[in-house]
Parts: sequence; C-alpha cells; structure tokens
Amino acid sequence: MNQMFPIGFEGPLAFYLVVYVLTLVVHVFLMAYVLAGSLWLAWVTVFPKATAGSIHGEIPRTKHPAARILRDWLPFALSGAITAGVAPLLFIQILYQQQFYTANVLLGWRWMVVIPVLVMAFYLLYIMKSKIISQWSLGIRIGLSICVAGSFLFVAFCWTTNHLLSLNASQWPVAYETGDAVQSLPALSLRLATWITGTFPAMGVLMSWQLRGMKSRTDSWRDVASDVNWLTLIEDEDRRIAWVSLAAMIASLILAFCYFLTLPEEVRSNLTGTAGILWIAVLLSSSGVMITGLIRQRRSHTGSKSWLIAVTGALFVQLTAAASLREIIRLTQADLSAVVQSTKAAAEIGGLVMFLVFTVLNAGLIAFCLWLVRRKQAP
Amino acid sequence: MNNFYPVNDYGPLMPGLVMAGVAIVHVFLAQFAVGGGLLLCYFQWLAMTGRSETARIFVNGYFRILVLISFVLGALTGVGIWFTSIQVSAPTIGQMVFNFHWVWATEWTFFCLEVVAGYCFYRYHTQLSDRTNLTLLILYAFAAWMSLFWINGILSWQLTPGDWLASRSLIDGFLNPGFWPSLLFRTIVCMTLASLIGCIVVNVIPSLDRTQRQELINRAAHLMIPMLAMPVLGVWYLLTMPDDSRGWVLGGSPAMMLFFMISVGASLAIGSYALIGLWMQKLYINGATATLLLFMAFGATAGGEFVREGSRKPYTIRHVMYSNGIRPDEVADLRIRGCVTDDPYPVVHEKDLPNDTVTVGAKVFRKQCAVCHTIDGSNAVVHLTASWDEDQMRMNIAKLQQTKPFMPPFAGTAQELESLVQYILWVESGRPSSWAQGMNPETVSQISRWLDEAGTEPAEARSIR
Repeated sequence: MNQMFPIGFEGPLAFYLVVYVLTLVVHVFLMAYVLAGSLWLAWVTVFPKATAGSIHGEIPRTKHPAARILRDWLPFALSGAITAGVAPLLFIQILYQQQFYTANVLLGWRWMVVIPVLVMAFYLLYIMKSKIISQWSLGIRIGLSICVAGSFLFVAFCWTTNHLLSLNASQWPVAYETGDAVQSLPALSLRLATWITGTFPAMGVLMSWQLRGMKSRTDSWRDVASDVNWLTLIEDEDRRIAWVSLAAMIASLILAFCYFLTLPEEVRSNLTGTAGILWIAVLLSSSGVMITGLIRQRRSHTGSKSWLIAVTGALFVQLTAAASLREIIRLTQADLSAVVQSTKAAAEIGGLVMFLVFTVLNAGLIAFCLWLVRRKQAP
Repeated sequence: MNNFYPVNDYGPLMPGLVMAGVAIVHVFLAQFAVGGGLLLCYFQWLAMTGRSETARIFVNGYFRILVLISFVLGALTGVGIWFTSIQVSAPTIGQMVFNFHWVWATEWTFFCLEVVAGYCFYRYHTQLSDRTNLTLLILYAFAAWMSLFWINGILSWQLTPGDWLASRSLIDGFLNPGFWPSLLFRTIVCMTLASLIGCIVVNVIPSLDRTQRQELINRAAHLMIPMLAMPVLGVWYLLTMPDDSRGWVLGGSPAMMLFFMISVGASLAIGSYALIGLWMQKLYINGATATLLLFMAFGATAGGEFVREGSRKPYTIRHVMYSNGIRPDEVADLRIRGCVTDDPYPVVHEKDLPNDTVTVGAKVFRKQCAVCHTIDGSNAVVHLTASWDEDQMRMNIAKLQQTKPFMPPFAGTAQELESLVQYILWVESGRPSSWAQGMNPETVSQISRWLDEAGTEPAEARSIR
C-alpha cells in the first residue's frame, strides 16, 4: 500500500473511507463517554471515600459533581452512541461486507448477545438515574454499577473480538470448525486495553464542559453543599478527571505501541510507510496538545476555557487519526482490489444528493430544537 | 472465499424463526414509537388549547413510557434486526444495503433528529412553553414517521421491485408499486398501537379519576378511526402483489392464509371495538381489556409480518435473490460448477459423518436449505420428505420449483443432489456409523435428466411463459 490514506486511494474508496471514519469518530466519542463514565461511576460507588467540606458533613463521591452528571446524562449518551453507531455500521457494510458479515456469523450467538446486554445496561442506567436507588443498600448499588460497567466492557470485548476475527480471513474455516473466535489473546488484550484506556480522555473532555456548565446552575447542588464548597468541589473534580484522563491517555499510547508490535510485518510497514506515517504524526502531535492542555487544566484553579477548546479540538483530531490508522491496518489485511471494486459499484448507486439535502435539513432542525430548549420560555 | 458465508446451526430453530422473532418485536415497538409521536402531538394540542386539561397529565406520563420502551428497546432491536439479518441471510441484507445505503443513511439523519427532539422534550418540557413543547413533539413525530417512510420503501421493494428490475433506478426501487399502500397501512397500524397503549397508560396513571380516564380513552380512540380505511388499503396492497404471492396468501399456502386470517380477524375485532364501543358509544375500557386488545394487535402485527415475509417466496428479493441467497442468474452456472465446490468451511462435527458423499450432502443442505429448514428440527427436511421413496425424493428435489412452486430451483450438480439425498436418508435412518459410499452412475444420469427437464428458472417464470 503505497498511497497515503485516504487521499491516495481511488475516488469512491477514499470517499466511503472518509464518511466511515468521520461517522465512526462521532460514535467513538459518545461510546467513550459511556464506557469510561460507567467505569467511573462503578469506581466511586465501590470506593465512596468522602471529602471534607460540606455544610452537611462529608460528601461521598457518589454525590460529587461528576457522578451526578454521569448518572443524569449516561442514558442519553448511550442513546446517542447507539444512534451515532448506525451510520458507521452502515458504511462498514459497503466497505468490508465479506469480512464484517463473516465475523458476525462466526461469532453467532456470542455476537448477538450484545443486544440483550445493551438493553439490560440501558435500563439499569435509568434505574441508577432514578431517585429510588438512594433508598437501596450499598451492596445493591455497588452490584448495579458493576453490572452496568461490566456490560459495556463485555460489549467492547465482543466488538474487539469481532473486529480481529474479521481481519484474519485465513483463520475463518478453522474458527468455524472449532468455534474458537480468539486467535491471539495478546493482540486481543492489548487492543481492548488500548481502547478502554483511550475512552477516558474523551469522557474527561466532555465532563469538563459539563462541569463548567454546572458551576452556573446553582439549583443542582443546593441540597448538598454551600456555594463556595461546591464550586471548590467542582474545580477539584475537574482537576482529578484531567489527571485520570492524562494518565489513561499515556497508558493508551503505550498499549497502542505494544499492540503495534504484535501486528504482522506488512501491516507495520504500511503504518510507518506512506499510508500511515502522517497519521502517526497527527496522532502524536494531537496527543501532545492534549497532554499539555490537561496538565494546565490540572494545575489551574479555575480551568482555562481556551485550553479546554484546544484539548477538545485535539481530541477529535486524535480520534480521527486513531480511526484512520485502524483502517490502514484493516485495508492491509483485506482484499484491497475487492474493496475498491465494491466501493466503485456502490458509488454508482444514486441517493447521495438526497442524503446531503436531508443531512443539512435535519442538522438545521436539530439546531432548532437545541435553540428552543436554550431559550427556555416560561410555561 | 467470495460469496461464501459460514452458516450456523441453531439446533431445532430454523434461522428464519430467529429472524421472525426479532423482526416482529422490533416492528411492533417501532410502530408504537411512530404512532406515539402522533398521539402526543394530538394530546398536547388538546391541553394547550384548553380542550382537555387532563391531557397534560397524560402527555407527561406517556412520553416516559415511550422513551423507556421505544428509545431503548426500539432502537436496540433495530440494530438487532441488522445483526439477525446477517446471521440468517448475509447475501440478502448485503444486497439491500448495497442498493439503498443512501436511503438508510438518510433515515439515520431522521433517527438523530428523533432522538434529539425526543430528549429535549423529555428533559425540559416542564420548563418550556406549550407552544415550544408542541413544536418539539411535532418534530419528534415527523422524524419518527419519516423513519417509517424510508424503511418502508426498502421493505416493500423486496416484494415488488417494479420498474427497478429494468431501470435499476433508486427512485423506481424506492417508490415501488407496494410503497404507498404499505406506507399508509403501516401508518394506521402505528396510530392504532399508540392508541391502545395510550388506553393502558391512562388506566395506570394514579392521579386520574374515572371521568378523566374515560375522557382520555375516548380521545385516544380518535387515532383508531383511520382503521376504517384499512380494508381498502389492504385490498390495494394485495393488488400490487405479484399474482403468485397473492395466490399464497389467498389460499395457495394454508400456513400463509392462516396467518393472514389471524391478522385480518384481529384487526377487525380491534377496529370494531374501537369504532363502535369507544368512539360511537363512548364506552370505558379498563387496563385489562386494553392489554388484551394490545395483545391482539401484536398478533395482527405478527401475522401481517409473517405474510409479508412468506409471500416473497421463493425470493427474498423478487427476481434478484432466492431465499437461500442464490441469485436466479447463478443457477445455470452452479448446475455445472457445483454449489459447494468452493465452500471453504468444513462441516461442524465432520468426523461424525460416515463418508464424503454424506459430508458433501451436509454442505449442500447448509448452502441451499438451512436458511428456511432444519434437518430434523422445525420445518425439518427429514419430516417433509418422510413419505417419499428414494427416487421420488431425487425427482422432487431435482424439480423442486415444480414440486412446490414457492421453492427455488435446485442450484447444484446431479452429484450434489444425490449427496443431499444420501444425507437426508442417513439422518432419517438414525445417523448410523457406516453408510454406503459412492454413487450409481445411472442414478446420477437420471437426476441430470430431471434437472434438465425442470430447467433453471423459477416456477412463476415458467407459468407466465
């Protein structure tokens, strides 16, 4: 593969790759918020170490700003992640139909089970959001939060298994005969760990924005703390999350490098060659911006909005670079001529203009909905 | 490895049943979501114009149910249907996605609008003016109905591709002959389901007294009035169906006719109750009766979906792809080349099979039969062929499209057909550890003659000629 991804490829292939990667990034961002957010919630529920400073005594971490925001927003974020996931799920079927379908079928029930698991996790999120949960024992609350986080980890495991299986066409007959879907445990573990740790910066960035918004909504904390204490708590929480994001991102980069070492030689040379080198550079430089921004955020007492904007921008660039590198790995292991052929044929099917028109229309209507809500006319 | 997908064995369940189960649940929930949006708009309007203050209480309670059921189960079973379709017939869903990916992508933009408008209402409706709330609900209902609009074009195309077959134009395929009757019919079904669930919700809202409940129930029943148009739309839809498909529904296939009658009967009962009882006589309906009617509506939906799926036989996409994922224009080639010659996947538990002939037969079964049949579970080939003697079995399979016109033609060599027969007989005989190897050349020649006599075209094409 001597072409730069994706602009060096033939028009239709490059076009579908761009559409796929961009829609995937939106899905990954929301998915990351859900996965890291549920892990965060499970952590603070299991270890609800209190912090001094409340007018009512010590405030357990489950009542801290981040936990409150997560309980409130995770159901919607999951809904958004699933909805956003429909688009890349559609374009993957144009780009890699044979690979994706075969991996799906080979996993069979083990793949299909992600649906009931997600349904269960969805309802549990609503239960965790409800007021009734505060009346339940700590054991049940711990069980629930672990169950939710475990469900999302399980779905992540299934996706990773599916993806790795789809890359390895030569192993499909063996996988079919033996039922063994995991060909390389180290590769699976490293890839999964890379993604899981990589979800925290995304959650951290969105959480930082939400915490900034929370500062101005005094009605959301009146029940637990005085204004001053609560503001301090929000700032502490913001710094704590920045720290966790920073540590997780560095871990993710190290794990990604380890995963890189497990890849076949041909894939590695494509990643470090014309196809991928620019994306590696983009990934590292955007990570650099994020690291700098997160360090400043951690040191700052008030949090810098301009740095938060920079970190947010860098996050999306980083996710795009990571998704592009992911596709270079996949394209190296796929039958490239078949992918070129199928995308060429797909590009001849009509409907793109219609899609663009309705995308603009619906984006406008979505903006209109948000504007209506922001206006908040009194009833 | 192109064109070969592994096929899973679901034990006694045939993959089609798995698909039907997920599809019916999803269709039911998705239609509730569409109708729910319309019902909420109506009730919000009633509340804000002062026609019914009680309607405001209902809107808040009903939307919570809608979010919890539709946003969660509806959305996820929608993804589940995609996954299930891949399990059942990867070539079919692949072809549908290929032809209509921009339609699906367009539908996705409406999903996004639906989720945002829905959540904005769900989260902020108590802080918003009536007018803003109605606007959000209208946008939600519009987006939900548009998702029906788009998917309806793809689903109706499977049975009635119409001019698309010649033109390959997206518009011809999307606005196919079955599009409008199907869309209008489904819209009425959506409103009916929403209305029935509305009646249940009214009965469980604790703050309402009996008079208020009765008022809301009678208002909700207004959405069932369009059921009056169902017979006309049903006939219109039947008229757009291909002759042979309509024939299965109207008596040609006892199972299909039975499900059709269940669907018609249940719809008739619900419609009569709604029109005479709730609308004309303003009767009260309690939660138990509303739930019973909803179950009947589920039965009607299930029956209708079964008929819609079944009436496409022997195709999954008419004139484009047979139920087993083989294309009509591939059959002649597969008769020469063989349908499992390039199959890279071994038979699971291959060592348990007595010889190569039976193994090839198992592969042929997997490739051509397994999507609709099991070997000895539900809709089992062993049971369906139990009364045939060996030669009859060979001839009936060789002339499959004539034996049963809703079956596709056999798409393999004479040797593969004989292997399939041997596999069926081996299972029928209790899977003995040893089984006669080899084939009688005369038998193979006879099968070849039968295959030639039957031709490679489906029964419908031959009958038209």
